[in-house]
Amino acid sequence: MTVHSQGAATSAPQDAPPKSAGRPKAPLAGAGRTTGTPRRGRASLPSGWLPYALIAPAVVSIAGLLLYPLVKNILLSFQQVNKIELIQRKAPFIGLDNYTQLLGESRFWTVVVRSFAFTAANVVLIMVLGSLIGILLNRLGTKMRLVLSLALVMAWAMPIVASVTVFQWLFDEQFGVVNWLMRTLGFAGYEQHNWFESGFSTLVIITVLVVWGSVPFVALNMYAGLTTVGAELYEAAKMDGANGWQTFWKVVFPNLKPFFLVTTFLEVIWVFKAFTQVYAMRSGGPDRASETLPVFAYIEGQAQQHYGLAAAISVLTILMLVVVMSFYFRLILKQEEEQ
Amino acid sequence: MKRKLIAAVGVAGMMAGVAACGNGGDDKGTADANGNKTVTVWVMDGSAPKAWLDEVNKEFEAKHPNTKVKVEIQQWKGIQEKVTTALSENTPPDVIELGNTQTAGYAVTGGLADLTGDKAKLGADAWQKGMLSSAEVDGKLYSAPWYAANRVVVYDKKAYQKAGVTPPKTRDEWIAGLEKLKASDPATQPIYLPGQSWYVLAGFVWDEGGELAVKDGGKWKGQLGTPQAASAMEFYKKLQSFSTAPKDKDEATPQQSTDIVPKGGVASWIGLGWEAQGALKALKEAGKEGDFGYFPIPGKTADKPGSVFLGGSNLAVAERSKNKDLAKEWLALAAGKDQMTKYAAATEGALLPNQQAANFAAAAGSFAESMAKGAAAGKITPVTAGWANVETEPNPIKEFMTKVLKGEDAAKAGEAADKEIASRINK
Repeated sequence: MTVHSQGAATSAPQDAPPKSAGRPKAPLAGAGRTTGTPRRGRASLPSGWLPYALIAPAVVSIAGLLLYPLVKNILLSFQQVNKIELIQRKAPFIGLDNYTQLLGESRFWTVVVRSFAFTAANVVLIMVLGSLIGILLNRLGTKMRLVLSLALVMAWAMPIVASVTVFQWLFDEQFGVVNWLMRTLGFAGYEQHNWFESGFSTLVIITVLVVWGSVPFVALNMYAGLTTVGAELYEAAKMDGANGWQTFWKVVFPNLKPFFLVTTFLEVIWVFKAFTQVYAMRSGGPDRASETLPVFAYIEGQAQQHYGLAAAISVLTILMLVVVMSFYFRLILKQEEEQ
Repeated sequence: MKRKLIAAVGVAGMMAGVAACGNGGDDKGTADANGNKTVTVWVMDGSAPKAWLDEVNKEFEAKHPNTKVKVEIQQWKGIQEKVTTALSENTPPDVIELGNTQTAGYAVTGGLADLTGDKAKLGADAWQKGMLSSAEVDGKLYSAPWYAANRVVVYDKKAYQKAGVTPPKTRDEWIAGLEKLKASDPATQPIYLPGQSWYVLAGFVWDEGGELAVKDGGKWKGQLGTPQAASAMEFYKKLQSFSTAPKDKDEATPQQSTDIVPKGGVASWIGLGWEAQGALKALKEAGKEGDFGYFPIPGKTADKPGSVFLGGSNLAVAERSKNKDLAKEWLALAAGKDQMTKYAAATEGALLPNQQAANFAAAAGSFAESMAKGAAAGKITPVTAGWANVETEPNPIKEFMTKVLKGEDAAKAGEAADKEIASRINK
C-alpha cells in the first residue's frame, strides 16, 4: 500500500507530458501490481455457448427490429404497392420500376440536393457552435459551468415534438414572439410576417431548432474531451508564444481528433435522417418545398399511399448514407491497422 | 476494437432511423368469446350527435341480443391513410363513414362490400338522387348515403348591426358590407377566411362556370389553369384581404370554430352546421354569449345563391368485416327513415338527411334554413375513383390557393396544380 501510494504521489508531477512520461512509468506501475493477472483473466474468458447466450438477446432484438424491417423494406421497393394493392393484398414484383420512376423525377433530385445542403449547413453549425461552447465550459468557473451545463442538458432533454411546437409559436405569423420582437426593435415589415413563407425560410427555422437541440451533445462531449488534455500542454504552448487560435489547432485539435471524427459523423447521420423536426414543423410544406429525404419518403408512402415507391426512396437514402459514411469507416479501419 | 464498435454503432444508428418506416396497425378483436359479437362503427368527428347514436345502438342491441356496438370517433385529418390501413386488415371496423368525395376511391379498391343486393333492405328507393351518385360506381352500390351539408356565412349579429350591414344577396353587396364592417371597427376582421379553404373556392369556380377537373378523351385533367379558376381565385383573394387569417392554412388548423371565433374579433366566417354549434358552445364555456345570424354564400346575381360544395358522408360496410350481416342490419337501421328523421331533428337540420321524408322543418333564421337555401346550388367534386388521391395532403388545390394569394400568377400556379392533379386523378 505505502509503496503504491508513494509511487502515485511521485509519479504525478512527472506525468506531465503524458506520452513521454507514460512509458518510463510502466515498470513502476508493474512493480506495484502483478502484470500477469489481466492476461490470465483474458485467457480464462468463458468459452462455449455462454458468450453467444449473452449476446443473443441483443442480436435477436436487432435482427427483429432492424434487420427484418430492412429486408422487408428492400423487398417492398421492388413491388407495386399502392392503396388498391394494399387493400387487395396483392403486391406484384415490378423489378426496378420504382427506382427508374424515382431517378427520372426532377422532384427526387431536388430533394436529394436539399437534403445534402441541409445536412451540411446543420453539421457545420453544430460542430462550430458546440466546440465553442465546449471550450467555454472548460474555461468557466464551477458555478457558471454548472449553470451552463444544466441549460445544455435541459435543451438536450427537451422532447422534439414539444420543442417544435414551441418554435412554431415563436415564429407564428399572428401571435409570434419573434415578430413582436422585431417590431419592438424597430424593424419594419414584421406585422404578420410569415416566417414559413418559402421552403428555404422554413428550413432555416428548422436548422435553428436542430442546431439548438444538437449543440448540447457536442458541447458536453467536447468539454469531457478537453478535460483529458493536460494543462501542461497549454502551458507549453503558451511558453512557445502560441495564440488562442494556434493553441486550438496545434494542441486541442490533434488531441481530440477522434472525438471530432466520431461526433461529426454521428451528427451527419442524425441530421440526414432527421424526420420529426422537419415533418412536425410544416409537414414538408409550403408546397413540398421543405421536404428532406425521410419526409419525402413518408409523404409519398403514408400520405400519398405509394408504399413501394416510398420504400425505394428509403433504400436510396440508406445507400447514399452508406456512400457518405464509407469515408468514415475507411478512416477508422486505417487507424485500426496503424495501431 | 473500440473503433470497430463505434463503427458498428454508427451503422446501427443510421439504419434504425432510415429503415424504420413501418406502419403500426392495432388489431381490434371482434372476438367471439361466449358467442358475443361486437359491431365496430367508425364515425367522423362532428357527424353524429351522441344522444342519437346511443339511441340507435340501444335499439340495435335490443334487436340483436349478445351483440354490442362499439363506436369509434375519427378525425378528418389523415383519415385516408387510416381507412386504407383499416381496410387491409383482417378485422376492419364493420361500418365505416366515408366522405362523399372519397367513397368512389375506396369502392374500386375492393375494400368495401357490394351492397347492390341489399338495396331493398336499406330502403334505397327513398334516397335523395343527388346524394346517391357519390355512393355508386359503375351502377353498383358500395355505401348508403347518410347526410349532406354545405357551408353558409355565419355572422355576428351585433357587429353587423353596429356597422349597419344587412345580409347581402349578391357578391357586390357582400364586399360593400365587408368594407362597412372594416370602417366601423378596424380591430375586428370583417370575415375570417384562411387561405386554403378550398371547398369555398370550389363554389366560386362553379359560379364562374368552371370545374375542378374534367374528363377529356378517357382521361381526367385539372382545370385550375383556366380563366374561370383565375377569376374565382380573384374573388377569393378580394374576400381574403378582409381577413388576417394565415394564407397557408385551412379552416381546420387552427380550428376556426373553436380556436378562432370564441376569441372574438371576428365579424363573420364561412362554416358548417357543426362548426357553428361548436363555436356557440365554446363561446358559452368562455362565459360569452354568441348571437349568430346566417346567410347563404351570395351569388353573382340576386336571383341565385352562390354555388356551394355539397359535402357529406356515406356509410359503408367493410368487405373483410367478420359480421357483414350485422353490419348491414346496423346500416339499415341508422340510415333508415325513422332514425334519419330523429337524426335530422337532433342536428336541428344542420345536416340534411339522406331522404326527403326525414327532413327537419328548419326554424326561421336558423343555420339549417340558410343551408337549405344554399343547397339549391350545391355540387360535388368529380365522381371518379381518382379524386380521393387529389385530396390527400399535400393537396395541390390548397398549394395553388396559397401561391395566388401570395401574388403568383393564377394561370401559372394553376398549370402547376393541374399537372399534379393529372398525375393523381388518373391513378
